[in-house]
Amino acid sequence: MSQSQTHNVTDVEVLAIGAGFTGIGLGIKLTRQGFHDFVILEREGDVGGTWRDNTYPGVACDVPAHLYSFSFKLNPNWSKIQAPGGEIWDYLRDCVTDEGFWDNIRLNTDVTRARWNEDSKRWFVETTNGTWSAKFLVTACGHLSDTRTPEIDGLDTFPGDIFHTARWNHNIPLEGKRIALVGTGASAVQVFPELQAIAESVVLFQRSAPYFFIPSGKHQAFTDAQRRLFARYPQAMRDIRSEIFWYSEGNFPPRVQVPKLLEKARNASLKYLQESIADPELRAKLTPNYEIGCKRILGPGRFYATILQDNVTLEASALTRVDGSSVYGANGDGYEVDVIVFATGFDATEPKFASIIFGVGGQTLADSWKDGMKATASISTPGFPNLFITNGPNTSLGHNSAVYIIESQIDYIIDTLNYVNTHHVERIETTPESEQEYVDSVAARAVGSVWLAGGCNNWYVDRRTQRLTVSWPDFAYQFRQENAKFNPTDYVLESVF
Amino acid sequence: MAEPIAQDLVTGTVDVDGTTVTYFTAGKQDSKLPPVVLIHGTAGSTENHFSFVFPTLARDQRVVSLDLTDIVGKPEITVADLERQVAGVVNHLVPAGPISVLGYSLGSVVAAAYAAHNPDRVQNLVLVAGWIKTDTQQLVRQDVQAALRGDMAAYKKLSLVLAFGVPFVAKRTLDDLLTIAPPPAGGMEFIGKLSDLNRIVDITDDMGKIKATTLIIGCTYDMMVPRHHSLALFGAIEDSRYTELSSGHAIVWERPSELALAVREFLANPNAYPAGSIIPEVQP
Repeated sequence: MSQSQTHNVTDVEVLAIGAGFTGIGLGIKLTRQGFHDFVILEREGDVGGTWRDNTYPGVACDVPAHLYSFSFKLNPNWSKIQAPGGEIWDYLRDCVTDEGFWDNIRLNTDVTRARWNEDSKRWFVETTNGTWSAKFLVTACGHLSDTRTPEIDGLDTFPGDIFHTARWNHNIPLEGKRIALVGTGASAVQVFPELQAIAESVVLFQRSAPYFFIPSGKHQAFTDAQRRLFARYPQAMRDIRSEIFWYSEGNFPPRVQVPKLLEKARNASLKYLQESIADPELRAKLTPNYEIGCKRILGPGRFYATILQDNVTLEASALTRVDGSSVYGANGDGYEVDVIVFATGFDATEPKFASIIFGVGGQTLADSWKDGMKATASISTPGFPNLFITNGPNTSLGHNSAVYIIESQIDYIIDTLNYVNTHHVERIETTPESEQEYVDSVAARAVGSVWLAGGCNNWYVDRRTQRLTVSWPDFAYQFRQENAKFNPTDYVLESVF
Repeated sequence: MAEPIAQDLVTGTVDVDGTTVTYFTAGKQDSKLPPVVLIHGTAGSTENHFSFVFPTLARDQRVVSLDLTDIVGKPEITVADLERQVAGVVNHLVPAGPISVLGYSLGSVVAAAYAAHNPDRVQNLVLVAGWIKTDTQQLVRQDVQAALRGDMAAYKKLSLVLAFGVPFVAKRTLDDLLTIAPPPAGGMEFIGKLSDLNRIVDITDDMGKIKATTLIIGCTYDMMVPRHHSLALFGAIEDSRYTELSSGHAIVWERPSELALAVREFLANPNAYPAGSIIPEVQP
């Protein structure tokens, strides 16, 4: 592969794949630095990532919006503590407009292959819309972007409509339909009450019962007066942000072998179940059979209240078989339905982009990660020079805002770019020793954690190796302490001169 | 059966001049950091004040804590009495080598005095919501609290609004606050003696003897030991740095994670900020 083989190769200093929270945050920071030699490639027709893809009824962020937003771009206008998904999408679009970098974004541009070229020390990135060459490549694809749908026997015989919550089909009316909702994760518990309200019936397939945070009892909507205060006195937003952040950090220790705090968290959640569901048989079905925190603890919403509605059936087993319009749980019970909604999550342990990124010697990132994702500082891996992987290994939080981690990774990238510019470096590659040291340090912190020892199947652990590769097993604050600054000693640096 | 505050917690007792003092220890075995000793405040205990800080620090280093204990038959408890209980536990569990000491509220008075008298042992010192000398504001506040002891409901309410920061209280119900604050520990008689001690604290003479690398943590909304006391410590202790966290006096319940991580960061690298620094509060 060389430049001569391709026509119309566009050179750019920094190329990012994905215009979700990470790509947009990076765009803001670069633009504010007066650095404009960057392009963000987006496979879809608009920016917004998760919040463009997830438009199912009831979609919202269960992390409060004043924290789930950029610290450098506060928004006084959130309508509710937990913002509806559409508002977050608007916020991200507004970020691009306000900061003025729409011209740096290429929509409808799907990356088909990215290949490191050692001669030119650049990445060559082929897309459905032209080829780029870049000094630095950033994967900003998000870890919850590729939908996962379980393989169900006979699903192809189903005559009705099937959709995934992250690919909602708004053209199909669901009023009066009989709906099978598969899954009880974060998306499922949000869409469930919305479906129940309009459907003839809903059967909910629950492979495992979720734990919930106890409702705060706080009024969800912000008043006009509050929003005006936020606009006039931004410190009020910062105070809320800090309060939520530190409260959320308080939910970390129960996940790592702190018996008393674990017991407290478990008891609070089970008490909420007890108070919500009187029928002992139903309550037994809704009692998790694993330790709290092993799977994501969900925002309370209206899940239990919805379960109690007359047109709802709880099938406390996985959907295993479909035969025409009949859907069957693992225990053999069948239901006639018109629509199947999969709220079955995403592929996080084996990201799809890894198979189209070719590093030194032509090996793919997927090959390099065949034993699970790993990276120095959760961002760079040997054999893939000048590549920043965001939302990759050990970057997911079960207890705090993902945007906090994203900002940390953006800071790392900016710090690196400033370093290489100052020191005239053209090639950086992290060492296997540094990566191993980081992997060992993370693994030591994960020992005995609820993700590994909590007795559940979750999407944080790589099933091939039983290593915790998705979650960060420490406080969010500690991630930023360790992983927001470029550390040259983790790299082999090659200078221009 | 209540669960322990930390994994692999070891509990034991030592005899200090005829008083049986309970201690707790746990934490990372092969840590390069010196063990940290935690000293709780008035009406507290290891569990009551440190159920968050203890296990958080134990991820990185050995942690030792004790429950300060009444001396039966002794009508007045002094700072020196409490210091001897600390020494008894430290000498039993960590007989030699450097240690770090953290005190909270009255515990920070004890911690500062212990550090002054054991400069060869105490390498690092953390004083959370501490003070040097009791002043009029504290005395008047205690007078009012004492006057309300006949009306427990009123006493409890006053204690809660004094303990928690104003913004924290404003967003919660009284029931919320009662859930967040565990019941007082140590027994009424001992709490009474410690309250008396609170009125007469004066460790001014010890200040110059503290050689430890010190972090002073003041609480912005503290009405029980207002922040000017922490600033006084910042001025008085030579090798000290200061940070202020957005909390009331009850920071161990109100902002335990922010407190624990500020301490963790300091203990991991005590000289990251030179003496005299004001460490800005984190803006997440």
